[in-house]
Amino acid sequence: MNSDHPDHDHHHDHTHDNAHGPHPTREDDDVVLSYGEAKFLALKGMLIEKGVLTADEIRRQHEINDLLTPHQGARMVAKAWVDPAFKARMLKDAKAAAIELGIEVTEAELMAIENTPTCHNIIVCTLCSCYPRSLLGEPPPWYVSKAYRSRAVREPRKVLREFGLSFSDQVEVRVHDSNADLRYVILPMRPQGTDALDEMELADLVSRDCLVGTALPGRNAGS
Amino acid sequence: MAERLNSDIGGLPADTVPRDETPQLFWEKHLIATFNVLRAKGVFNLDELRRIVEAAPPEEYKRSSFYGRRIDGIADLLIEKKVINRDELIARTEDVLLKGTRDHVA
Amino acid sequence: MSPNAAPTFAPGARVRIIDLKKPGHVRTPIYVREKVGTIDHFCGAFENPEERAYGRIGGARIPLYRVRLMQRDLWPDYEGPDKDSLVLEIYDHWLQPA
Repeated sequence: MNSDHPDHDHHHDHTHDNAHGPHPTREDDDVVLSYGEAKFLALKGMLIEKGVLTADEIRRQHEINDLLTPHQGARMVAKAWVDPAFKARMLKDAKAAAIELGIEVTEAELMAIENTPTCHNIIVCTLCSCYPRSLLGEPPPWYVSKAYRSRAVREPRKVLREFGLSFSDQVEVRVHDSNADLRYVILPMRPQGTDALDEMELADLVSRDCLVGTALPGRNAGS
Repeated sequence: MAERLNSDIGGLPADTVPRDETPQLFWEKHLIATFNVLRAKGVFNLDELRRIVEAAPPEEYKRSSFYGRRIDGIADLLIEKKVINRDELIARTEDVLLKGTRDHVA
Repeated sequence: MSPNAAPTFAPGARVRIIDLKKPGHVRTPIYVREKVGTIDHFCGAFENPEERAYGRIGGARIPLYRVRLMQRDLWPDYEGPDKDSLVLEIYDHWLQPA
């Protein structure tokens, strides 16, 4: 059984802006009920009736998940930029470093990969969609696309050019395929001319895509 | 060389990386939350879900979407573990579609 | 994650990622099978996903390594300098000395 009826019946002209949550969500009634959603609703009802879980447990987890955002990763990066000892701890054990900032990473392991003037790093999961979700929230659609998963390992420089980044042959482009138990977050280089910025302002320079390797802080920051 | 799993697509030719960003729909977020709860309760583990998704026929996998794979995989895994019944799920899904609203679900 | 299986390869060791031709769920992508690289990092020991995927949990932990391969060795048509590399995680039983 498959839900390959397109389950993204998006209405791109929606004007309703939900400012109540950390993520934009559309009011349910604006969106056509797709087969995928109907299947989920049926499944959820059955699981609740059978006592496997409760609606409240799902709601509670949904609320917890809404707190996970790329900003958590940005905070770690900003602190690493201003505090060399923290940076060293983050590179040694990113999971423990996250706890210092009150961030609980629930994946088995988290590794921070540092960009340097001679090496730019990029993360992909070719086999599925492994991503440090408990740190950054859900990955962007492009990260889980088959195109990115197929091409990032084979032609990373071409993929990076699609994201507006190019590197000379003096800089290594290193790809990390997140195929087993580790999850990765990129520690980008601090941009020039940011000496006067405080930690919060520095965190604002670090977008989600900077933490995966397809953007650089401060420019081309995208979403 | 062994046969390639349908999800083992590293290095295969593909088009430009799609860049359109659409926010997650509410039900998609609720599905992820449901998945998290089921895992936390030990109903299944992540490796089992991956294995189930990989078992789809290659043509189906190629046509599939991310959340489509998720809901189908979770459903198939729960059916495999006899937590739910396949026929009942099909019937209940049709029922939801027929009613056309989400109001009746707790 | 505390390893209870000691690593058999040291960082810097040259290794070949063998093709076990194992049916079912595995986490070693086709594109690195029968390729040679270097141990970059010992990650610790983890339960085997090839077992967990079938509900067999709580089993023996297996050493997991980050293995670094040169892109020019992976792709005949690789577009980029020779220094470009790729790193991924491989379980001990998929490796032999190169």
